[in-house]
Amino acid sequence: SVRRSSDDADGPDGSWGWVLVGALFVSTGLVFGLMRSLGIFFVEFVEYFEESAQTISWISSTGLAAQQFFSPLGTALCNAYNARMVVMAGGCLAGLGLILASQATCVLHLYLTMGLISGLGWGLVFTPMVATVMANFTRHRALALGLAFSGIGISSFAFNPLFQLLVEMYAWRGALLILGGLSLNIVPCGALIRPQRRSKARQKVGWTSRPYATYTLAIVLLNIGYFVPYFHLVAHGRQAGFSEYQAAFVMSAAGATDILGRVVSGWFSDMGHFRLIHLLSFWVALAGVFIMLLPVSSLSGSYAALVLISLLYGFSSGALTSLAFAAVPLIVGVERMMGALGLLQLLESATGLLGAPLSGRSTLGRCTVLCLHYRKSNLHRVSNYVCTVC
Amino acid sequence: MFCSRIVLQCDIMAASLAQLIEEGWGDYTMQQEEGEKIPCEKAALGEDRGIIIMSPSWTQLLFQILLLLVCCRHINTKTSGATPSPLAPVPTVARSVVLKGESQNETIEVLNPIKLELECTWTGDQDKLPNITVYWMKDENEIENSRLTVQLENEPYNLKREFSIEKEENLGTYSCVFENVSKINFILAAPQIGDVREKPIVSYVGDYVVMTCKMEESKPKPSSWNWYKKNGTDEEQIFPAEEPRYKIKNEDEKTKLVVHNLTEADSGLYYCGAVYAIATTKSPVKLKVITYWEPLKPFLAILAEVIVLVAIILLCEKSQSKKDGATGNETNADQTYTLTEGENKDQEGNSSVRQRKV
Repeated sequence: SVRRSSDDADGPDGSWGWVLVGALFVSTGLVFGLMRSLGIFFVEFVEYFEESAQTISWISSTGLAAQQFFSPLGTALCNAYNARMVVMAGGCLAGLGLILASQATCVLHLYLTMGLISGLGWGLVFTPMVATVMANFTRHRALALGLAFSGIGISSFAFNPLFQLLVEMYAWRGALLILGGLSLNIVPCGALIRPQRRSKARQKVGWTSRPYATYTLAIVLLNIGYFVPYFHLVAHGRQAGFSEYQAAFVMSAAGATDILGRVVSGWFSDMGHFRLIHLLSFWVALAGVFIMLLPVSSLSGSYAALVLISLLYGFSSGALTSLAFAAVPLIVGVERMMGALGLLQLLESATGLLGAPLSGRSTLGRCTVLCLHYRKSNLHRVSNYVCTVC
Repeated sequence: MFCSRIVLQCDIMAASLAQLIEEGWGDYTMQQEEGEKIPCEKAALGEDRGIIIMSPSWTQLLFQILLLLVCCRHINTKTSGATPSPLAPVPTVARSVVLKGESQNETIEVLNPIKLELECTWTGDQDKLPNITVYWMKDENEIENSRLTVQLENEPYNLKREFSIEKEENLGTYSCVFENVSKINFILAAPQIGDVREKPIVSYVGDYVVMTCKMEESKPKPSSWNWYKKNGTDEEQIFPAEEPRYKIKNEDEKTKLVVHNLTEADSGLYYCGAVYAIATTKSPVKLKVITYWEPLKPFLAILAEVIVLVAIILLCEKSQSKKDGATGNETNADQTYTLTEGENKDQEGNSSVRQRKV
């Protein structure tokens, strides 16, 4: 295969790659940032449909599970056809799901539309776009990912007040309709992917590949513990005697350092002083240390200690996220990266279901229940923090 | 036979009761609603006991009494909202406040009719005159015959007065005033509904809406809830029985009003009322009914923007590919997926991770 030296903009690390980073920024913001801000709708759903918080929280759980479950499908379709078609179709589905949800007359409709259809759309968007961006970079891969993933945190901060405003003006039906329209903006993001000719060889990732299997196991284990601190922070903060505002502020601050961590670690890793795998291990270990220190600091009763540890945890967990994705092509090679990522997401979804009993029901579900609780008690600022992180 | 404070719920049709009145049951007051269960209460509970005076036509009456008993069910009265129960002695509540400074406010939550004894203690003023005037006020008006001139003797002065709080008009602000300057305000009110939603609730024409009101857990629960709609300057109570479009679901500490088949005329101000023996506290809830066209406008704008963006991107690409068309088709395809062996090696420096070589 020939690498053209004349066409720099289209080559790896070329300027078109950064355009794709922007596209990934926007689309992950519209996928995960949106998912995280759905908490605002849940209070409305609980009142309108007169259902319990648990029932309603399953909507977002379904959406996330669907996104992860359909990821391999998305990557397979990319391999079979091309990424542009898949992402554009995913964007249409994501928008369609929300538009249909605005017409829902029972909670089941919401599961099927906001959960299944939009989730399918999100699955067809996220992993293919990530893979495409990674394929377009070699030297700046981690930084590109870090920048793009910072979109999740930033957009969820922006979406919270926006969704609140939409619900106040148009009630949940109108707000969902408009969100559907917003989600359609994924389609132009997908359109930016240049069509590529792919080698016809089938790309299958073998399970027996030891590096991949080991790596997968590591990521799976990571996911079990990843969300737990965010949920328990508020619960334990209160037990340790901190007010709900203080605890929620801590979560919000951790979310901010998360964004910072993603960008910084990506940039640092690309400088090449250390091997990516080593850096990844370092951040994971650090995150683990800080998690263990969290209950210590909250029990000690010192608010400053809790804030510090949470900030450090947020930073390290964000840092490991960018590298976790960037490591995949290193392990399986760029060609098989698409399929590998898809499978990885699928496994993350399985972990989510399995890890649920470990951390007491689905952490996402619990998170949204918390979010609902704060909204009901009219602690709007607190609930904004909680709902953002969830 | 005598009637104690039992509320009889009768399934008798209005007509029979009217007959009963004519035949000498004039003491009873009734609320008649067509075809509905008719609550009959003995209104003349001012007397010690109500004794049914037998009308002349004994047998006729007896028959009707039996009829009454057959289809009535005895229900124990709760001290329901509007009925005063003067048979039980009204409890006396005392509140005593020592004035610190020039003015002070004290909130008193009143649920039932009570006799309220308010006591103000004033430690006096440094440059005090030996004689001071004290009086009581209700809602900025001086209460007649409450003015006194007293002599202070180097010790705090106690001013006491008893008030009979029976009806809603008796609620308000009672103040004891010393020397026209220092006063203590006792604010008497039924428990107020705390969290008031200021933004209007929005819903759509043809859809339904759920409006809720909640009384804080710490406050006493109302005996029941009512809902009112503002019509001009009046507030009309909503009766779900009359209009099946409305449904009221009451729980002890919260209430829900569900309105189906909304129309734009349903927009406006609604009030939920927490009913206590002494008064009903109201809290406003605003409803706004809009058509689907409202959110459709921004949606269509966003849709247009998306279509335009996609068109621009695809057209730009097409025009660029036409430009490159001269250099041949292979340059179009971006072969970033397949890397050379050389690139594999220097990808991450001295990576020792096993990689599948293409």
